[in-house]
Amino acid sequence: MIEFRDVHKWFGELHVLKGINLKVDPAEVLVVCGPSGSGKSTLIRCINRLEPIQKGALIVDTMKVHESKTNMTRLRAEIGFVFQQFNLYPHMTALQNVTLAPMKVRKTSKKVAEEQGRYVLEKVGLGDKLNQYPAQLSGGQQQRVAIARGLCMRPKIMLFDEPTSALDPEMINEVLEVMRNLAREGMTMIVVTHEMGFAREVSHRVAFMDYGELIEIAPPEEFFSRPKSERTKLFLSKILTH
Amino acid sequence: MWSFYIEQLIHSLPFFLKGLWMTIAVSGLSLLAGTVIGFIWGILRASRSRFVKPLIGAWVDVVRGTPFLVQVFIIFFLLPEFGIQLEAFPAAVIALSNLAACFICEIVAAGIQAVPAGQREAATSTGLNGVQQLRYVILPQSMRIILPPLVGQFVLLIKDSSVVSAIGVMDVTRVGWLTVQRVPQGLLVFGLVAVLYFVICYPLIRISNSLEKRMSAGVTQNKM
Repeated sequence: MIEFRDVHKWFGELHVLKGINLKVDPAEVLVVCGPSGSGKSTLIRCINRLEPIQKGALIVDTMKVHESKTNMTRLRAEIGFVFQQFNLYPHMTALQNVTLAPMKVRKTSKKVAEEQGRYVLEKVGLGDKLNQYPAQLSGGQQQRVAIARGLCMRPKIMLFDEPTSALDPEMINEVLEVMRNLAREGMTMIVVTHEMGFAREVSHRVAFMDYGELIEIAPPEEFFSRPKSERTKLFLSKILTH
Repeated sequence: MWSFYIEQLIHSLPFFLKGLWMTIAVSGLSLLAGTVIGFIWGILRASRSRFVKPLIGAWVDVVRGTPFLVQVFIIFFLLPEFGIQLEAFPAAVIALSNLAACFICEIVAAGIQAVPAGQREAATSTGLNGVQQLRYVILPQSMRIILPPLVGQFVLLIKDSSVVSAIGVMDVTRVGWLTVQRVPQGLLVFGLVAVLYFVICYPLIRISNSLEKRMSAGVTQNKM
């Protein structure tokens, strides 16, 4: 579904991805963790070319993201992306937020788009917030609208960039719950997060990144109980003890 | 004595109203054209285009860095040297439209750039193309930022239009010049000229102020 082959990325002089090799299967849930600045956000931002890569090959659903002639607009419609800061459109209601792309990109009629929007917002538990503006919603609710906005495009892949990092602790679970359900339904997901409980419970594999390299990748039981690399052990000891 | 001058002034009132109409025509046409061009330039200036962006930037700098009077003279007196003959009126409209476009371009570009990058990223990630992003996501948010200074800029440009009297356009200012030669009461004559400008500008100032209040209230309310 997603394949990185020796992917390199620079921000000017800064080498942020140093030869990433990674394959994600359909319906797989991959959690990516690592210290801040390790390149994990950049990794998933490359998948829909929010960041272009400079070297290597990146293939998503048979499309070659590394080739500049690839029609990214079409591919992006197949990939939902959830941001740490939600990035909802503040001038639109929840329903308008989730129906914009289906109507403009997929050319779905307003009626059908709204039906589908209502269904998806209900699915994330916001059936009663359709006509609220983002400013009237809590952080957790905003993030669920953001997930719904991705889902409304009926994507094949959902990418999550620290979806709970900007949330108050009591709101984290409502967002994770939506993500758990998605995983159960067989969505292909890459989740950048420090929620190790979620990783342990939901993911098929956990990857650890540091300094732009993929240090270790393993199924959660192995990753947490028998980490191979010293750096992974150190990282895990830091985030699991508090 | 005063009553005599005032009587004379009342006599020339139709003349002043004609001048007022000319000021409105020059400013109105220029603001219309300047706003349209200014938005196009502003959008391009805020874009990532490598060629057009610096070109517009350079042009805006040149126009902002030279006196408007000189620009008017160049268009009216210098272009004929290159075979482009213009009447005073179109020359004035072209000069003022260009000035308006340059200022409005800066306002629009700043408004677009003030929208958080995450908005564009979110729109990009859902598959909206560049034009759709601009139309549905970026511009509606930019408008809150653009509108108050835009209307304020209109006021400045209407006042700047008085400069075109220098090439013989019969606007209110020029009417004042001509009248003061018959009615040697500068205070009275130009007092009337000022009042006429104020009558056009004041409503716009009020609009700008109320937009400022409404938009900034909206922004804080809609903060995420």
